[in-house]
Amino acid sequence: MNVHEYQAKQLLNYNGIKIPKGKIAYTANEARQVAKIVNAKGPWILKAQIQSGARNSGHFLEPKAGTQGGIRQVKSLKDLWKEAESMLGSTLVTKQTTPQGKLVSRLYVETYVKVNFTFYAGMAIDRVNSVITLLLANTKDDDINTIANSATDQILRLPLDPVNGPTHAQTNRAMDFLKLQQRNYDRFYAFLRGMFKTFMQNDALMIEINPAGVMKNGDIIALDAKITLDERALFRHPEHEKLKDDYETGPRELKAAKYDFTYHEFDGSIGCIVNGEGMAMAMCDMIKNRGGNIACWLNVKGGVDRDKIAAGIKIIVTNPRVEGIVINIIGGFVRCDLIADGIIDAAAEVGMNIPLVVRFEGTNRDEAKNILRQAQLPLMLAHNTDDAVNKILQSIQENE
Amino acid sequence: MSILAQKNTKVLVQGITGTQASFHVKRSMDYGTNIVAGVTPGKGGMLHLGVPVFNTVKDAVAQTNASASIMFVPAHAVKSAVVEASEAGLNLVVCISDKVPVRDMLEVRNILKNNQTHFIGPNTPGLITPNEARLGIFPENIHTPGNIGVVSRSSTLTYEAVLEIRRAGLGQSTVVGLGDDIIIGMNFVDILSAFMADEQTKAIVMIGQLDGTFEELAAQWYRNCCGKKPVICFIAGHSQVFNTTVGYAGDIITHGKITSEEKKKILSDAGIIVVEQINHIHQELQKLQL
Repeated sequence: MNVHEYQAKQLLNYNGIKIPKGKIAYTANEARQVAKIVNAKGPWILKAQIQSGARNSGHFLEPKAGTQGGIRQVKSLKDLWKEAESMLGSTLVTKQTTPQGKLVSRLYVETYVKVNFTFYAGMAIDRVNSVITLLLANTKDDDINTIANSATDQILRLPLDPVNGPTHAQTNRAMDFLKLQQRNYDRFYAFLRGMFKTFMQNDALMIEINPAGVMKNGDIIALDAKITLDERALFRHPEHEKLKDDYETGPRELKAAKYDFTYHEFDGSIGCIVNGEGMAMAMCDMIKNRGGNIACWLNVKGGVDRDKIAAGIKIIVTNPRVEGIVINIIGGFVRCDLIADGIIDAAAEVGMNIPLVVRFEGTNRDEAKNILRQAQLPLMLAHNTDDAVNKILQSIQENE
Repeated sequence: MSILAQKNTKVLVQGITGTQASFHVKRSMDYGTNIVAGVTPGKGGMLHLGVPVFNTVKDAVAQTNASASIMFVPAHAVKSAVVEASEAGLNLVVCISDKVPVRDMLEVRNILKNNQTHFIGPNTPGLITPNEARLGIFPENIHTPGNIGVVSRSSTLTYEAVLEIRRAGLGQSTVVGLGDDIIIGMNFVDILSAFMADEQTKAIVMIGQLDGTFEELAAQWYRNCCGKKPVICFIAGHSQVFNTTVGYAGDIITHGKITSEEKKKILSDAGIIVVEQINHIHQELQKLQL
């Protein structure tokens, strides 16, 4: 689960990391009001709050939002109001979003801070070594995008002790690497400790401060921040519930999440219901190899019951792209007979007027097949994944 | 032989009294798995599914000599359940539980570092040695004994791989699901080396994942290993780019963005047979003429 820049900054600031003074605004009038509190005279930075990187080099779809990206510097309150008005309610597209972009519903109004030097600081999980790793890079000559892709030797990687976090020895090494002045030591050490503390305290999976700036007086400040939180740990963080932004998730994704499903949309015409993400991807590959394309997939997980699966089918049916549905279940934890019951319920409620192919294997397969045969629904049973993919592609073609 | 668990492996179940656990443990028993005890704190002394339930793993091991555990405990209890299992000296823990917080798994890995306990999972279908032991939630009716080892990071694709083996007219020695979480216990290299040493296993089917670099490590290991047996590998995800992460840190950790094409090349350069679609596995198996 990702959070917005301003929320990430607040989490970091709670652990002592310095951030520029800023406030959130939902309307242009609000932006003007909070700007006065943030900084009486300006200049200010207006930052579109969407959960994506590369906002500055992005562009808006609507002409009223102008040609600039999602981060704008303004010098007067009048300009601030104008720019805020143009960005709010517009759609920002960046390198990290889909071509459809994301709706900007709130702006972060921040005071402009002058820094002498910037660097990249990240913390993320190294899966192979099962450790949290601190990543640092000097971003004076190249931005992190370039460094990450082509100059990976310009990145310092320090595996962190899971209990103690960054040590003094590691801090010294990092200071040398970034060529920071020795007088900054205490502030830099506190900065790294603050990042680590934020990581552990919030069950984060990734923290990125890019850039971090060193001010004239030696203070280190987070100019931008991204945090990804571990959704598996939400049960011990009720306070994170309010950080969720429903605007960031599509309506069908949101609905699917309520039933504990994962749901993804693409631009094809086939809707897939599978159990397991690997299976979803393998189906995508197979459909694509045969000239088809997937509209969406819904991954039903372990604890699925009759009502949930019916709801899942209904979510897929409401996707206007879907011209045919394939349900491919190999039951381990998931019981095929429950899925069959759900299919019948969904068909009774919404009526099935598009092709439906069902493949069952594993736990209670035969019971499930019998249930569907007895219900006499207009659907095709497939005996393996291969067969299921062929059948759905064929029947969609026939329909055209 | 086979690897990790056989007919005579004594197995206990942590969290045996839960609904899902009861459903699957009953089936494992019917399958012939030697389940000797259950552990649910506070429910010690009762009988469940015909086996005694203990309050602690230590008690269960003292009374029954169990050496392996299937773990069905709720996600938030996994960390302490692992500590218990390792302190009681269990040789193998198979953790079925899903949604275990990553921070907990980092701690689990830290605890197990200096420890003899082999940990598989979490979020795995478990492991099965056909007709001998089912430590997990596999649909057992698709498995037959044979000489193909299976190791996989995806649960459903494991079943699909097993069906492909059946399609080739072959069976499995042992099937191991590693789990598809960010932090896992045993990895490809651990299981591949066990299969290489196992007499029964003649070839291995490996189902990899786009995320992480465990497959690359396996390729590196395979290139230099002794007693090489053929490995057939499938990795899903060439048709779509699943960009679910924000920022650059993930790509930096893996030394650049991972694409399925690059990953497949690394594997095939190491001598591993890579198939483009999961349903091509049976053809490659037939070519081996085992």
